[in-house]
Amino acid sequence: MASVVTGAQNKRPNPNSTSAAATREGDQLIITPLGAGNEVGRSCVYMSYKGKTVLFDCGIHPAYSGVAALPYFDEIDPSTIDVLLITHFHLDHAASLPYFLEKTNFRGRVFMTHSTKAIYRLLLSDYVKVSKVSVEDMLYDENDIVRSMDKIEVIDFHQTLEVNGIRFWCYTAGHVLGAAMFMVDIAGVRVLYTGDYSREEDRHLRAAEVPQFTPDICIIESTYGVQLHQPRPVREKRFTDVIHSTISQGGRVLIPAFALGRAQELLLILDEYWENHPELHNIPIYYASPLAKRCMAVYQTYINAMNDRIRTQFANSNPFDFKHISPLKSIENFDDVGPSVVMASPSGLQSGLSRQLFDKWCADKKNACVIPGYVVEGTLAKTIINEPKEVTLMNGLVAPLNMQVHYISFSAHADCAQTCGFLKELMPPHIVLVHGEANEMGRLKQKLVSQFADSNTKLYTPKNCQSVTMHFSSEKMAKVIGKLAEKVPETGESVSGLVVKKGFTYQIMAPDDLRVFSQLSTANVTQRITVPYTGAFEVIKYRLKQIYESVESPPVEETEVPTLIVHERVTIRHESDTYVVMQWSADPISDMVSDSVVAMILNIGREGPKVTPIEEKTQEEMERMARKVVHSLMVSLFGDAKFGEDGRLVITVDADVARLDIKSGEVECENQGLRERIKTAFGRMQGAIRPIPKP
Amino acid sequence: MWVRALLCFSKTLSPPPPSPSNFSLRQVPLFSIQKKKKQVPLSLSLSLSRGGMGTSVQVTPLSGVYGENPLCYLVAIDGFNLLMDCGWNDLFDPSLLQPLSRVAKSIDAVLISHPDILHLGALPYARKHFGLSAPVYATEPVYRLGLLTMYDHYLSRRQISDFDMFTLDDIDAAFQNVIRLKYSQNYHLSENGEGIVIAPHVAGHLLGGTIWKITKDGEDVVYAVDFNHRKERHLNGTVLESFVRPAVLITDAYNALNNQVYKRQRDQEFIDAILRVLRADGTVLLPVDTAGRVLELILILEQYWAQQHLSFPIFFLTNVASSTVEYVKSFLEWMSDSIAKSFEHTRDNAFLLKYVTLIINKSDLENYAGVPKVVLTSMASLEVGFSHDIFVELATDAKNIVLFTERGQFGTLARMLQVDPPPKAVKVTMSKRVPLVGDELKAYEEEQEKIKKEEAVKKASIVKVEEVRATSSHLSESTKGDSMVIDPASATASPKGSSHFRGQMDILIDGFTPPSTSVAPMFPFFENTAEWDDFGEVINPDDYVIQEEDSNHMVVNGKSLDVKPDEASVHLLLDSTPSKVVSHELTVQVKCALLYMDFEGRSDGRSVKSIISHVAPLKLVLVHGSAEATEHLKMHCAKHVCPHVYAPQIEETIDVTSDLCAYKVQLSEKLMSNVLFRKMVENEILWMDSVAEKTNEKVLTLLPPPSAPPTHKSVLVGDLKLADFKQYLSTKGVQVEFAGGALKCGEHITVRKISDSSQKVTYTQNSMTAAVSFSCILIDDLCCLQSGWDWSSTDCY
Repeated sequence: MASVVTGAQNKRPNPNSTSAAATREGDQLIITPLGAGNEVGRSCVYMSYKGKTVLFDCGIHPAYSGVAALPYFDEIDPSTIDVLLITHFHLDHAASLPYFLEKTNFRGRVFMTHSTKAIYRLLLSDYVKVSKVSVEDMLYDENDIVRSMDKIEVIDFHQTLEVNGIRFWCYTAGHVLGAAMFMVDIAGVRVLYTGDYSREEDRHLRAAEVPQFTPDICIIESTYGVQLHQPRPVREKRFTDVIHSTISQGGRVLIPAFALGRAQELLLILDEYWENHPELHNIPIYYASPLAKRCMAVYQTYINAMNDRIRTQFANSNPFDFKHISPLKSIENFDDVGPSVVMASPSGLQSGLSRQLFDKWCADKKNACVIPGYVVEGTLAKTIINEPKEVTLMNGLVAPLNMQVHYISFSAHADCAQTCGFLKELMPPHIVLVHGEANEMGRLKQKLVSQFADSNTKLYTPKNCQSVTMHFSSEKMAKVIGKLAEKVPETGESVSGLVVKKGFTYQIMAPDDLRVFSQLSTANVTQRITVPYTGAFEVIKYRLKQIYESVESPPVEETEVPTLIVHERVTIRHESDTYVVMQWSADPISDMVSDSVVAMILNIGREGPKVTPIEEKTQEEMERMARKVVHSLMVSLFGDAKFGEDGRLVITVDADVARLDIKSGEVECENQGLRERIKTAFGRMQGAIRPIPKP
Repeated sequence: MWVRALLCFSKTLSPPPPSPSNFSLRQVPLFSIQKKKKQVPLSLSLSLSRGGMGTSVQVTPLSGVYGENPLCYLVAIDGFNLLMDCGWNDLFDPSLLQPLSRVAKSIDAVLISHPDILHLGALPYARKHFGLSAPVYATEPVYRLGLLTMYDHYLSRRQISDFDMFTLDDIDAAFQNVIRLKYSQNYHLSENGEGIVIAPHVAGHLLGGTIWKITKDGEDVVYAVDFNHRKERHLNGTVLESFVRPAVLITDAYNALNNQVYKRQRDQEFIDAILRVLRADGTVLLPVDTAGRVLELILILEQYWAQQHLSFPIFFLTNVASSTVEYVKSFLEWMSDSIAKSFEHTRDNAFLLKYVTLIINKSDLENYAGVPKVVLTSMASLEVGFSHDIFVELATDAKNIVLFTERGQFGTLARMLQVDPPPKAVKVTMSKRVPLVGDELKAYEEEQEKIKKEEAVKKASIVKVEEVRATSSHLSESTKGDSMVIDPASATASPKGSSHFRGQMDILIDGFTPPSTSVAPMFPFFENTAEWDDFGEVINPDDYVIQEEDSNHMVVNGKSLDVKPDEASVHLLLDSTPSKVVSHELTVQVKCALLYMDFEGRSDGRSVKSIISHVAPLKLVLVHGSAEATEHLKMHCAKHVCPHVYAPQIEETIDVTSDLCAYKVQLSEKLMSNVLFRKMVENEILWMDSVAEKTNEKVLTLLPPPSAPPTHKSVLVGDLKLADFKQYLSTKGVQVEFAGGALKCGEHITVRKISDSSQKVTYTQNSMTAAVSFSCILIDDLCCLQSGWDWSSTDCY
């Protein structure tokens, strides 16, 4: 029995304490950057609303190694996260994913676009291979990456998915192939996370789309702060002019670039330029990145994620089948005999092929080095932008820096104008800036504050682990359907029915309609029990009448055997001389009635036949007894209680006097508090005296 | 027992504190609008429909019911006309499109489900001749492969006849306004379709194949034809089963009477049949579609050839074969999970074909004349195209086999050959396009010359009229260009065309007509306002670039779309050498083997029935299937699925407006802050008692009841599976076993499930004593399992 009681309690925790608090908390939307708050790198933004939790991106910080490079995962409980969304494949957005999937208790679902997933695999394998850290410092290995692939699910642009009531879909972000901006909709509150985005269409990517719906919150990158990009044609012309003039003077051009992303764009520019300049056809272009070569298949396949220009070209030939560019495996295979253009990684000239070539070419003033993107502080690439007289080679020797150095940025991040324009079109009421150095971010914030001065827009620039909290009033709308909706209720009329909540939509319906409008169904539990009983059936009837107000016995002709119906709930049939059969449809009251009936019948059996005189209690007697019981209970509760002259119960507590009408339950009292208490107490007593409502 | 009972009681008894009810009263007018609509003025009916419920839905088949004719259905949702598919058959019979021609102009949107002729073939024709100008919605592969299919059909027709139903330009024009969507992209229609959301979902069957879900006001209309629930090599199975309880489901009865053999067995038989012929030096002809099911066949062959290291050549021959495969390679995200996975891991594109040779010219086959080979070629109907010609060549040799992988369309050669027993001989028409020679050529040239002249003159005059009109209205503005330069067309045409032209029209000089606004004919005067800078007149360098007139270039320019058909089609397009079609009839003795195997990739009858009963629509519309199949499925569904099953005739409009009532309420914070939902599968559920209140104009709010609500009948929610229950009980240490459909627990207790309209679970206890308390636990466990037992009357305190 004890187990039953606890079971019941577990099912119904006290709603006053827990759920009310939980609901109020649920209206709070919390955004916490675990990385990329006032910094660039290890993008990871945590968001929680109405008990649903979403994590955007899962990157590492390229400047640190080992656990230090991870976002602050300790701040959250990974097991509570429902959905993890990865915007694109860059290391600072995706590289801690294998760690998060394999080494934490994260149990949610993770999504990225098709092309991101394909490149993610290659890029991270390469990252694991080239990162030179001790085994203990390794966050994960190749096997973890392969295992993580099975857990990653794919989403296509604009495809709407729903997980646990969280609806989300993604838009083109224009940063790299497969880069996405995620829109998340939880209970009608929309949050847009841009990731890295660019509003400028380039050779192969579409510009970031402007979502159809205004989000309530926009979490946006601020990498370039208030800087402005040069117009694209100008940059492209500078780029090709530098290369053309260098090679026409017999020099060599080195382009240190990260293997994926911008490199493909530059290759497209070069291939096109060569195509249009037949005189250059004898000058070779190499791209020296085995990784990029492996990824080329991905670029050649996911053409549909790119812009119309590429797709138009695709009708004729695959634009990523370069005609004038050949791959280069290593410096040993490189036949350095005359002018050439070489694109090599890494972009920072720290080591590897790009550094080897740099060392070889830096002393000749005919040569040129074109740095095509964002360079990280502390790398050689950053140093040579300032054009020092001498540089230190890898072998430790010092050599003069005679080669020309050009910095032409093709970085596909939004600049200030794009960000302002984008936000102006969207006009989100809340803007959260992430992914930018503190200074740049601060300047952008100032700029945006002045731009949105006359609107109600709120701007936030949280640091890592600093939470931003917003409140959204939750107006819950429900749809009443089916039989319940046949008549629209007037004010004051009651509406009772089943509320079915799916995701964040509510439907109210009659139990009969449950099967029609949902996958659920209602059921009845019919219980039949056979109780051994050898006595006379009349005895049962008599006993029952003593306990219950309503005991019917329909004529035998209708039921074949003698039958009793208690409160129109429980049927007792005397089917044989040795037993009776009880049948009822389970619900709390019927169960209770039937339990008592069973106990009673068993007791009759045990006590043996015992004749008791029939003693019909009149209604009056019943009333009198009820009065007595109420009186004595009131005395035990309030002390001084006696019947007044008008038949009402007069209760005196200290100076307050209350009069209770036992028939109607009305209380007359000056003291509000006392009146309520007496009313409640009386209600409970009534419930105890007449537990079974008359059907 | 008593403890438990009392516990339940204490809950029902504790009365909730009275809550203040100081809100004003209001009522929302929410009632069935459908019937009222006709009587009330328009403005009123609008406001009613907005506040109320009942999205009106009407379905009118235009083609493709009670038979296998092309699919084309009109679905009107609140007056917004959606055309579901716009199909034609392989014979391009215009009489089939009569019903469409009558409504084409009123259509607001076209939704296409599959890239084959039966689903989209009539688009170019309807656009050209019926004025169908609505935007077309389709997935990217449906758009692309559909376009290629149309090209292939056109080119095949054109080769053997003066086919003039539509031209390549008409195809391009029809496909130009296709809006391309992704799977499960919710696309919100605008303007008079406001409020309607359309979303394509995976259908299986063909690459990009779509089930359309159309939603308005929370009511779903699902259009699902030719779906396939089985996962195949290149496609995922349909997601139809995840749509539960749509208001209307429109589906086909095409396969209602067909049942399929197991996939593996069928594949093996297919391969065996092919190999038997190849090993006996025969040729296998597979008449296929252009870009649909053929992809699956190619993968089957590729896979088997790779496994067995076979060297028999395989050819895929259509007018657009290489483009097709090139595009298909870039559609990996639309294909099955296994293809996507293999690409992610190894970057092996499944359609990087190693054994299948793509050819676009039948002459390429000549080198392999005597060699055993497999040829996959379009048209599946054998009516025209490469398959027709190759069939005629192969049919007379008993070594060969023609292996049909789909049922031929009605009235086609393929259908004739699929009857049992096959005909001994068939009559075919061999047609060929031959260049004109001799007198014919001369006559033709003269005629062309004449037409050209007339056209040029006409065009020139039109151009001039427009130009003059334009310039005269802008005379004040400085026109930078060369308005004085005579249009080249008129310049060349004038010397020849002037003589017979002058008399007819009242003009002074060729190519010049007075602007309609002028009173008397006058020469227009154009001020030459060339810009000058320090170096002289400003010129546009582009004017001096010598244009390279290469043929390729012209095609790309000439065609507004970004698709280049294969060279063969280019030749044909540019082929200006006058030609004519020569035909002769001949009788072909059919000696080769004929075999039909079902590779259509549609769910079979049994699966269709179980899917429909799982989806359990409120109303069901059946289309596309033979009369017997439609009747059969209709009977079945009326009995097992829902009472409202319709199978309308062509142009018969049926109203499937849902007759359910609904109104919206706001759940007040006070009510919702004190409730506790119980989880049931995907739903959360609770019993609620509340009181309605009108707070403002429209909103009806539900508040907690001021007093203890009357008790209600307890509701037990959930579907108990006896097998689950058995497992649950055995974990609790109860001995359970199935006996005669009932669950016997221990000696005394039996649990029986009676499924009827309202589900029942019955317990029978045969004997007494210990069993009683045990049964209580049992029931309580049952409730725990179902977790929907609603103990108390309300959750508001």
